[in-house]
Amino acid sequence: MPMCLVPYPENCTGCRFCEIICSLSHERVVSLEKARLRVVRKDIATDIPFVCAQCQNEENKCCAEVCPEDAIFFDGKALVVDEVRCTGCGLCERACAYGVIRVSGVARKCDLCGGDPLCVKFCPFGAIKYEEIKKENFRKILAMMEVSF
Amino acid sequence: MKEHCWHLLDIDLSDLSFTRTEIADDLKANYLGGEGLAVKLFTDAADPKIDPFSPRNPVVIAPGLLTGLPIPTASKTAFVSKSPLTGTIAESIMGGGIGIQMKMTGAYVIRITGKAKEPVILLIDNGSVIFESGSKYWGLSTREAEMAIKHDHGDYVVATIGPAGETLVRYACIDCEGRQAGRAGIGAVLGSKNLKAIGVRGNGDLPVYDAERLISLALKWQEIMEKSNAFIEDTKYGSGEFLEWVNSERGVFPTKNWKESVFDERKEIDPYYWAPKYSLKNKACFACTKACGKLFVIREGRYAGTLLDGIEYETLYALGGQCGNPDIEALAKANELCDLFGIDTISTGVVIGFVMELVERGLLSVKDIGIDCRFGNSEAVPKMVELIGKREGLGALFGEGVARIAKTIGGDSEDYALHVKGMEPPAYDVRGLKGMGLGFMTSSRGACHLRSGFYALDLTGKFWRFEGVDRLSTKDKGIMVKAMEDFMMIYDCLGICKFSRGFFKIEGFIDLISVAIGKSYTEEELLLIGERINNVKQIFNLRAGIGRESYRLPKRITCEPISSGASKGAVLTEKEAEEMLSEYFIARGWDLKGIPTKEKLAQLGLNHLINWNKTEIDRRSLES
Repeated sequence: MPMCLVPYPENCTGCRFCEIICSLSHERVVSLEKARLRVVRKDIATDIPFVCAQCQNEENKCCAEVCPEDAIFFDGKALVVDEVRCTGCGLCERACAYGVIRVSGVARKCDLCGGDPLCVKFCPFGAIKYEEIKKENFRKILAMMEVSF
Repeated sequence: MKEHCWHLLDIDLSDLSFTRTEIADDLKANYLGGEGLAVKLFTDAADPKIDPFSPRNPVVIAPGLLTGLPIPTASKTAFVSKSPLTGTIAESIMGGGIGIQMKMTGAYVIRITGKAKEPVILLIDNGSVIFESGSKYWGLSTREAEMAIKHDHGDYVVATIGPAGETLVRYACIDCEGRQAGRAGIGAVLGSKNLKAIGVRGNGDLPVYDAERLISLALKWQEIMEKSNAFIEDTKYGSGEFLEWVNSERGVFPTKNWKESVFDERKEIDPYYWAPKYSLKNKACFACTKACGKLFVIREGRYAGTLLDGIEYETLYALGGQCGNPDIEALAKANELCDLFGIDTISTGVVIGFVMELVERGLLSVKDIGIDCRFGNSEAVPKMVELIGKREGLGALFGEGVARIAKTIGGDSEDYALHVKGMEPPAYDVRGLKGMGLGFMTSSRGACHLRSGFYALDLTGKFWRFEGVDRLSTKDKGIMVKAMEDFMMIYDCLGICKFSRGFFKIEGFIDLISVAIGKSYTEEELLLIGERINNVKQIFNLRAGIGRESYRLPKRITCEPISSGASKGAVLTEKEAEEMLSEYFIARGWDLKGIPTKEKLAQLGLNHLINWNKTEIDRRSLES
């Protein structure tokens, strides 16, 4: 069953540990800019985790569909970037409905850590969960984004 | 992989200029980061005799060595300056996200001097340093200012003062994302410089020496933390979870201006009561998965709409027990107002309790104050906070702190004034915790629980190297306080929160430093760094004229025994206090006036301080 990350902003404490551990494991540096997800503080009461929803088999195909080089592909577990083919054109960044792909030189995209996402593992409060890709999850994420933008 | 290059960004507000210099390797090695590095860079630039509100008084901001790395509770950033409350060197340490952003801009430490002609805000956007007019934010609350600056200038992490810092309330704090650098009035120092806020945005990388091992250590510590009581209880109830225990089992929860040490009406202010009812969710400092903060919301009633990140144990005491206030909603409202005006909740609460006693004794009248400021009148507490925050009427005097209020009111008011070196005490009645009492005396910034952290040892009888400690005995407390102060300094240098001390000890730090920056330290080397920093601070204070005579406990502690509860009859006499202090000075390698010996300074590599000018010290204090 295909899986994706699902945010639960009502559980988010705003610590941003997920961004720190993500950038460290993928880029070997701590960087909020290079993390493949982000937490946005709306105000004192609300912190919202923006995560990659792995859209490949539902309403949107966003990043993969728009890539002129076919550099974003499904590796059996997640939609990932082929860094050799990626030219860094930035179309996927603009197409990503969740605002979590960032391009500087090359596109950086959540690869679900090969099936054991560190952001989920390090969040003691369940603000990000690793769940089956389901229509309800998409609806929930999109509804949440409408509220927050 | 090489170590991250650190910079010092020197800001001069007088002409809105700045310079950037690399921080030398030996400074990093000898002072680590965070508080230690800030103390060094502050004392290098500050004249100890300076008026804290002089433009030449620097404020140094430094994130901890490990701040922002994936280590549970590594979230802290230190602010160091000369305190307008105490006249000592003082540090305020916060969990807001400004420190990690500073690291990512490449300016690891910021040092601010001068005074802007008009209100300004300082924005650091990666390599750019931008000064913008702060006039439109002047007068705004901390929360309004943070939001307005983000709205106008972009997604900066903003540390800001509130109206109280602008009007120089001597215990004004700095707020960042609902967290505060609370104590000692550094917010007022920023206010005196016309600096409303600092916004930082960094997109840079923070390299680490061994990413692979750091991730596996992070996992290990995360697992250890999640099994610890520190995590399980604090994430449910916050830092106030042990209030009932301190109250009933130890009888050292100071109440009604320390007239009592048990708060009988405490039911509602105990988090076991309020957390399930008012807490919406957990809130964390930046880079901390412990999340001991609570999002506290009042939905209906006279305080409807109150929303804050709290309520901490110290605040439950200061705005609760200390004022005889058992109403959790009035307490939360007062806490929120403190945060919005930008004043320290501990000092504010102690001031209000003190004023309540002055009213009770007829030294002040309700009519003069304009608020029915009496013990147990809960509604008076948020009203008093507002009076102080706005510096209206007698609020102008109350914003000066307990010591100055006593001096102004005169009579026997000093007898009921709770302060050490001018700073109001936190929530531990040291008549029943004698080592902590010595910690109040020796702390460089006055009555403070965090410099020695000794309450952990006195309350439980065992911590770190020590066990079988009797809280009511003075035996060996001088030696132990010295060791604890040096140890606690390491937390502040690394940027690790002391709320982790239940599971995090020095052995853990050694591994983490080595994977983070590739340097290995032994336990003794780390403690020597702590000792070095404490000596640098001591010499600054001596040069500022603060000698042994300033190491005084309030009369209530030395003369009035605890009246009831588990510590009934306990008192910490002046004789006991002086004996512990002498033992402490000897343990430190200082003479009995508190002056570090040449041998000690040489041992700590502080040769440049050996010939500091002793005539600068007030003769009277030396001879006492």
